Amino acid sequence: MNFSMSMQNLRKLVQVAFFILFIYLFLVARYPYEIIMGSDFGLRLSPLIPLFTFIDTLSIPPLVIPGLIILILTPFLGRFFCSWICPLGTCLDATDKLINTPKNKLARSWDRWRYLKFANLIALIIMAVLSLNLWGYLDPLSIFNRMLTVILYPLATLFSENLLIALSSISFLETPAYYLYDLFKDNMMPEGQAYYQQVLLISVFSGGILAAEKLSRRFWCRYVCPAGALLGFLSQFRFYERLVGEECPACNLCISECKMDAIPQDDVSRTNKVECIECFNCGAACPPKTKAITYRWSWKPYHTELDLSRRQVLGGMLTGLGGLGLLSLGLPNRNHARHLIRPPGSLAESEFEDKCIRCLECVRICESNGGCLQPDAFHSSLTQLWLPAAQMRTGYCEYNCNLCAEVCPTDAIKPIALDEKQAWVMGTAYFREDLCIPFARDEDCIVCEEHCPTPEKAIKFETKDVELPHGEVRALKLPYLEPELCIGCGICEFKCPLDGEAGIFVTKPADPQEDATYYG
Amino acid sequence: MKRREFLKTSAIGTMAMSLPLSRWQLFAQVNELPQAVIVRNGEPESLVSAAMKALGGIERFVQRGDKVLLKPNMAWDRGPAYAANTNPEVVAAITRLCLNAGATEVKVLDRTCNEPRRCYRNSGINDAATAAGANVVQVRSNRYEDLELKGEVLDSWPIYKDYLEADKVINIPIAKHHGMAKVSLGLKNLMGVMGGRRGLIHVKFADKMADITQHIMPTLTVIDAYRMLMDNGPSGGDLDDVRMERAMIASPCTVSADVLGLELFGHAVSDIKQIDVAVKRGLALYDTTNLNVERIDLG
Repeated sequence: MNFSMSMQNLRKLVQVAFFILFIYLFLVARYPYEIIMGSDFGLRLSPLIPLFTFIDTLSIPPLVIPGLIILILTPFLGRFFCSWICPLGTCLDATDKLINTPKNKLARSWDRWRYLKFANLIALIIMAVLSLNLWGYLDPLSIFNRMLTVILYPLATLFSENLLIALSSISFLETPAYYLYDLFKDNMMPEGQAYYQQVLLISVFSGGILAAEKLSRRFWCRYVCPAGALLGFLSQFRFYERLVGEECPACNLCISECKMDAIPQDDVSRTNKVECIECFNCGAACPPKTKAITYRWSWKPYHTELDLSRRQVLGGMLTGLGGLGLLSLGLPNRNHARHLIRPPGSLAESEFEDKCIRCLECVRICESNGGCLQPDAFHSSLTQLWLPAAQMRTGYCEYNCNLCAEVCPTDAIKPIALDEKQAWVMGTAYFREDLCIPFARDEDCIVCEEHCPTPEKAIKFETKDVELPHGEVRALKLPYLEPELCIGCGICEFKCPLDGEAGIFVTKPADPQEDATYYG
Repeated sequence: MKRREFLKTSAIGTMAMSLPLSRWQLFAQVNELPQAVIVRNGEPESLVSAAMKALGGIERFVQRGDKVLLKPNMAWDRGPAYAANTNPEVVAAITRLCLNAGATEVKVLDRTCNEPRRCYRNSGINDAATAAGANVVQVRSNRYEDLELKGEVLDSWPIYKDYLEADKVINIPIAKHHGMAKVSLGLKNLMGVMGGRRGLIHVKFADKMADITQHIMPTLTVIDAYRMLMDNGPSGGDLDDVRMERAMIASPCTVSADVLGLELFGHAVSDIKQIDVAVKRGLALYDTTNLNVERIDLG
């Protein structure tokens, strides 16, 4: 086995290892969260986090270190992140094998769109400088985690759970099926099946990225990915070069094997350093008889120009400005305030929107706890999409749990101690006496009071003699709330036995400062 | 089915025919044994052994080869000190007794109110009972069976299959305060094997409880009152609400155990509707107004 062959194999090995690491970090993000390496570590490898954290805070906090290491290595090694580490890239490579992606020769009509990723990055930077951080939507690691959380993991648990339950009904398979079921439940699946809203939008978004492989190999990485653009920008003068020897007959096999189509057709000896992701396919493709391709360090590297005209830079900037304007023109609607219940420890709403990269890791770990967090929908602003929002009818915030804060890669949710969390007011409960059973139907219930977790219950009740319509007098336990004790955990709303809407609901406390646009 | 027949015929059941000679002597003694026992001033382990000894030994309830199910209260994500869940040492001690009596399996389960894995773990029961040799299992949503009740307000309700299929069931509640039901004892603890939307049982609670529990009475009820939760129940959360009572009540009759348990709280039977209705509807095996109680003080 020669050197270049083994570089490709090494790359594949590392790529698979990182993919397994990302899956592992995803799977261990569950109760009890007792692991050596935090699940947020994987997400912090994103090269975009250091850049945008710096723009946002003008500082370099320790949480950006993993991403920073990638950035520092890039001028030397090029876009190795894209083919050695990025799990989304690995998904795209796997998709290629499934859907018969077109050869480079046939996909070349897309090439004039290479600038798009730079324009994306420029637009995102402009928006970030003007304090609107939307780059998380396009962060490849965030996209990957979103896909795992909302689609792949729920699908996997749904299928395996139902399969094992079906198998367990076959007499001789009952014991092994239940054994596997318990094993899966204890180590992988949530106790309850995970269901998420926004499945449709997130499927279309991440499915679209995978489906684009039908247009060209690594379509996302070539034309769209802002992380790829940043890394490409940094590797213009890459020190690690591909060398093509005299013996090259220009058979062009390397050109057609290149994942990024980064070898110019008119000059096989050069590499487009901005696009090359160091997959080493070229060396492996070079026929054994010639073996003209080698790799080496060069301290006087040649330069590859960015595929970007001044006009396109300007276009990106204008898009950023326009996007900023349009996205800020949402219609604030106070009726939607109740949907804005963020995880305990979250920064103030506007800051939270800036820091959160919509990776949904908090949503993921919440599933093995109270399960209240859901990817948010559009309410009164377009930028709320996929922020974590507590929806108390689908779950509740577990009193003794502060795990969402521990897995947040950008500290949009501050890591707070458990006692601080237990006093954190996420919202406040309100009774709806038109629905609540003791008020509306003159029957005992107070399931909400039963579950209220604060040491002194925020939901209390008084026993009152109530005269029913036909004259009977019944002693009824009527619940009421002591607002100063309520932390808005929502277990009352979740456990309310009514169909549909609950007789009690949690709404976010009003933030007087954020209400400045209203009269009053 | 075995269990229910056993209870109905109290001591001299048809089963006795198939038992070894030593058992005959035991059954002959049963009528002289107390109907319920209350032990005070002990530690979890000594309370259990004293209570079991007074009732004629665990062998009276658990025979060689039995599959036993223990139903402690581990519904809440709280540590043992908060007295929201059954004391783990009590569950472990009963597990050991059952295994020593020759039980082939001791299963422990509860349908929890908080996230199940958190409750199992933080109640301390998962570790303690597993170490004692029990099989602590999670409740699975597909393992409920609609039980025909023909009750006064309910026709049927889903009940956990493992509970129905166990040869012997030992109900191990903790004595605690409950906002809606006033107290939570043996009867209330059986809600942990009920499926469906349990919140709805709260509407017409006493009648629904009687409808269901009359069909699922356990072999034995052991009320853990080592710690008692006196307020903010059933979930608790404030150590000031916990009273060190260091007591235990046990009886083959759940209703009798509950009636006796009210002594600890100072409630009258007529105050606690679900127990009152159970007595009135004849769910007790004994005359609860005139219980033969053995009182033991270990202190």
